[in-house]
Amino acid sequence: MRTAKKKTGIARLLEIADAKRRLLVLACCLAIVSSLLMLAPFLSAYHILKELLRNAANPSANDVNLLLFWAIAAFVALLAALALLYASAIASHYAAFDILYNLRIRLARHLAALPMGFHTRESTGTIRKTLEVNVEKVEAFIAHQLPDLAGAVSLPLLMLAGMFVLDWRLALACTLPIVAAFVMQGVVFQGQKAREHTRQYHDALEKMNAAGVEYVRGMPAVKVFGITVRSFLGFHAAIEGYREQAEQISRTYKHPYTLFFVILSSILAFVLPTGLYLLGGEPDPSSFAVTLLLFLVMAPGLPMPVLKLLNIGGNLRMIAEGVERIDALFATGPLAEPDRPAVPKTHAVAFEAVHFSYAEADSATDAATDNAAPEALAGVSFVAEENTITALVGPSGSGKSTIANLIPRFWDVSSGAIRIGGVDIREIGTAQLMDTVSFVFQDVHLFHDTIEENIRMGRADLDREQVVAAAKAARCHEFISTLPDGYATRIGEGGTYLSGGEGQRLAIARALLKNAPILVLDEATAFADPENEALIQEGINSLIKGKTVLVIAHRLASIREADQILVMDRGRIAERGQHEELLAAQGLYRRMWEAYTDAEAWHLPAGESGAIKEAA
Amino acid sequence: MKHFLYNITGGNPRALLEPCLVSLATGFCQIVPSLLIFAVFDTIYLAHAREQAMHMEKLWGICALLAGWMLVEYAARARAHEKTAMVAYQLSATGRTELAEHLRKLPLGFFGRRDPAALTTMLLNDYSNVETTVSFYVPQLVSAVILPVVVFSIMLLFSPQMALAMFLPLPLCFGIMWLSSGLQKKISGRHVRAREDCAGRLQEYLLGMREIKSHNLSGERFEALREAFARLKRESLRMEIIVVPIVLIAIAALRSGLTLMLLIGTFLLVDGELSLPIFLLFLLLGMRVVEPLSVALVHYAELRYTALSADRIMAIRQEPPLPGTGQAPCGGDIRFDRVSFAYRHTDVLQEVSFLAPAGRVTALVGPSGSGKSTITRLIARFWDVRQGTISLAGHDLATCDPESILARISMVFQDVYLFRDSIGNNIAVGRKNATRREVEEAAKKACCHDFITALPQGYDTQVGEGGCTLSGGEKQRISIARALLKDAPIILLDEATASLDPENEIYVQRAINALVANKTVLIIAHRLRTIRRADWIVVLDHGRVIEQGTHEQLLAENGLYQHLWALQSRTAGWSMRPA
Repeated sequence: MRTAKKKTGIARLLEIADAKRRLLVLACCLAIVSSLLMLAPFLSAYHILKELLRNAANPSANDVNLLLFWAIAAFVALLAALALLYASAIASHYAAFDILYNLRIRLARHLAALPMGFHTRESTGTIRKTLEVNVEKVEAFIAHQLPDLAGAVSLPLLMLAGMFVLDWRLALACTLPIVAAFVMQGVVFQGQKAREHTRQYHDALEKMNAAGVEYVRGMPAVKVFGITVRSFLGFHAAIEGYREQAEQISRTYKHPYTLFFVILSSILAFVLPTGLYLLGGEPDPSSFAVTLLLFLVMAPGLPMPVLKLLNIGGNLRMIAEGVERIDALFATGPLAEPDRPAVPKTHAVAFEAVHFSYAEADSATDAATDNAAPEALAGVSFVAEENTITALVGPSGSGKSTIANLIPRFWDVSSGAIRIGGVDIREIGTAQLMDTVSFVFQDVHLFHDTIEENIRMGRADLDREQVVAAAKAARCHEFISTLPDGYATRIGEGGTYLSGGEGQRLAIARALLKNAPILVLDEATAFADPENEALIQEGINSLIKGKTVLVIAHRLASIREADQILVMDRGRIAERGQHEELLAAQGLYRRMWEAYTDAEAWHLPAGESGAIKEAA
Repeated sequence: MKHFLYNITGGNPRALLEPCLVSLATGFCQIVPSLLIFAVFDTIYLAHAREQAMHMEKLWGICALLAGWMLVEYAARARAHEKTAMVAYQLSATGRTELAEHLRKLPLGFFGRRDPAALTTMLLNDYSNVETTVSFYVPQLVSAVILPVVVFSIMLLFSPQMALAMFLPLPLCFGIMWLSSGLQKKISGRHVRAREDCAGRLQEYLLGMREIKSHNLSGERFEALREAFARLKRESLRMEIIVVPIVLIAIAALRSGLTLMLLIGTFLLVDGELSLPIFLLFLLLGMRVVEPLSVALVHYAELRYTALSADRIMAIRQEPPLPGTGQAPCGGDIRFDRVSFAYRHTDVLQEVSFLAPAGRVTALVGPSGSGKSTITRLIARFWDVRQGTISLAGHDLATCDPESILARISMVFQDVYLFRDSIGNNIAVGRKNATRREVEEAAKKACCHDFITALPQGYDTQVGEGGCTLSGGEKQRISIARALLKDAPIILLDEATASLDPENEIYVQRAINALVANKTVLIIAHRLRTIRRADWIVVLDHGRVIEQGTHEQLLAENGLYQHLWALQSRTAGWSMRPA
């Protein structure tokens, strides 16, 4: 979508790692020195062999001290190598975990800056996979692969350099198979096809994740309808699809992968014939034989770091794919923030010829476009004055909730403008806007935290009395006081579960505490818990005092006294006025009022009569 | 270890046999080149010792063998590669499916006390760990352990002293790993918990996004999430700092064997007790054996981590499904006989007795927390009763197969879950093999046909995770259509569902009327007006039945029911007005 010079693959990974450059350079240096020291055993073996061969005819003539020296030197070098390796690992892990932490926080922040459309569209399973699994892939790169890469690249290079100094022809015989193996690996594993395979693998994995999340969350429905995993819409298929994808990858790479291994582990099969061939033409065969022996001892050591490189190469694709998914998330456009945020002085809310369509809003942040969808709002204009109640009524899908969703910029308008105190809400910074507007929704979300924190919602600047005062005004102090730990009671897993009405009252307390000048309210909140309806009604009445109130109304009786009623129909304002005026107008509002009074009279038919008594 | 193998294979450790064998074969394949090189050394050494020309034909012969062996190794490796991968993917796919099936059989109450995020992590991530372990670590570990044992036995024949020196530190090395495994388990346990906590907080962050946004709590300002991330960072680092040195020390111990062997070998050689070719043989084989062992040690730590995944999976698989095998009767009277139930040490129901007659409407009334929902959930066997019995047509529900009970029940509760699938399929879950016509028929009766056909793709319209694109009332009507299609004799209903979408309340009401006709209905009632015509009303308070009767009888009793009735008559006409 955006064609800016975005880095991808390793370049992008290095860019991410750059945040801890010094620490990582240190880690790499330590890894290189450590891998150099790992060569000591080969050097020792060579010296020992040389001494032994020199005295082949008479073993007792060997210099015992020399032999012991090399044996112990090898071990000491090994200990030093391990110590350095540890230091390197800690340095790189420290850097990695720090980078991961920041990456996660940035992603979380970014997610909150995205329009709500993104969140209703994407499954939480998919997003979580990015923040959990894909972010951890970055760890694998920074903490393990980067230092490994440094060691694995430098070690064979140094070994080969040493070998070329000793005998370039034998060194060449060692190099050729490695180069061949690498070229093959590059062609097979980094090509377009490999990229495609990895992408498909990730897609299959994501599909399985999404289906799994749904299976667990929809468990009541799964059980009640006797759905089995196999018949469950897609889950079994996704599990099998993932398996097939994984197997497909392993089958595709079976031969290149095996060949690569065999070539690398058979360097001897290349060095030995070369050596024997050269031996024939050597003027001093016995000294050449010693060199050949050294090569024969060292050559099997070459593939080790090279095999590590293979692992890194293979994983790198997986990691790069993971990072691409992280970047795709970052690239999803957040709502634009103003350069210089304006602060509204007054708090009347005005809609000016607002058009909006969900499909269009989604396609602005996404590649998929579907132009056929109708507008949710088609030219809506009104003013909600300070200290008045504006009620939004209308059939579901008429645009009431959309109006409520646009005020906090959960989405941005397609055209037209929404102003608070004359300032376009896009010119007010998000933080300021959120401080200006409070919401009480129908489906309140309580966090796994204490009751107090759930009312406070992060506002550490307020003291306990203020929280309690808000709870009292929202009529929830009483039930909170009866809980075992009062305000410190934890909600959710391992804690207390609140009833719908209790949750609603907590939400009202939140809004009271926040005390923003504009309040967007879903009136249905009052009906979540009919036993406590009276309490919630009192809570709402104290909440709306002195505010610019926009209320999504369902039960028309409750908004009879509103200063302004907007009757919505298919994205337009069909009628506006006060209750009595609208009733007199004999239009949509009148019909809704009549239907409402009928619905209120509904009751279940008694079983014995069998007849279905419908209201009206 | 046996336990562990049993766990990671989901109770089928035999599946690991073949991957281990092929990987062992590959291991042996890699020893042969060492032996060939030994032959080269021996030839060159002989030439040196006897100061004669080298036996070139023999050397060229070895060359040919070495080249030929590449083919053998290719065959072995290709097979190992395929076998291990296939077995691993197969195991985790069947494991996932079985675990998912098992989850389905657990009582619904089980899910109430679990974080769904942790359960999905198990179903998905834990099995991925198992996958890697089975395809990679286990075969490698097995061959890395068996290989030295075999080599050791061979070497004992040549020189017991050298062989002992070489393998002396091995028990020490295993000892370190064994002693440290307890520590590791503890630390990785903390790490796993930190990860799960992260997953939980993240899920909450995403689900509560509207509140997060409207209270300016994005990113690190949402303290619970920031703390979870920070804790994961601390625990991850802690794990590395403590676990890594254990592995490194074990590697050092392992390698010290080679050094020890060199030292002893040197003395033996100088004293003439050991011939040079044997010394060389030890040196070459020693290097070959130590390498895979030290790689295996590195992976051993990862294996311990997988062990935790496997433990968690098995813990769930051992969670017992509800007992009962009998077929539940097809409808009849539902009788509660002195039923008591406690949820986590809190008494919820005490000695509840009542009768919900077949084909009649029985309403449950009472303040929130009085036990109304618990009664309906006990009928559906979310949990089993602690005392007393619930019977259906005289059969104790506890003896019936939970699935057959659920087959007799339709539940219409407030929380409707719609699957990420088409609307048509979401209704069709009500009855297996339902035809499109039956689906539409049910949709018409549930008053949702009209709004569905108005959608761009009609019945093929996809609904999102949790069905977030439909209004509450629309979701509710879809759930009623499901129930209509299921046509179960017993209906458990939460009356509040009717008011989820007040504009369309009347449609939901019609749909409910269609659903309850001629069924045994238990309804959780909030608005007393709705159930004033119910055949029987059971009034609950604090988990006890305090009154029961018909509307008229209860009003005359002047008790809680009468009080609630009066209260609701007062709040009904409420109008919003600043206090």
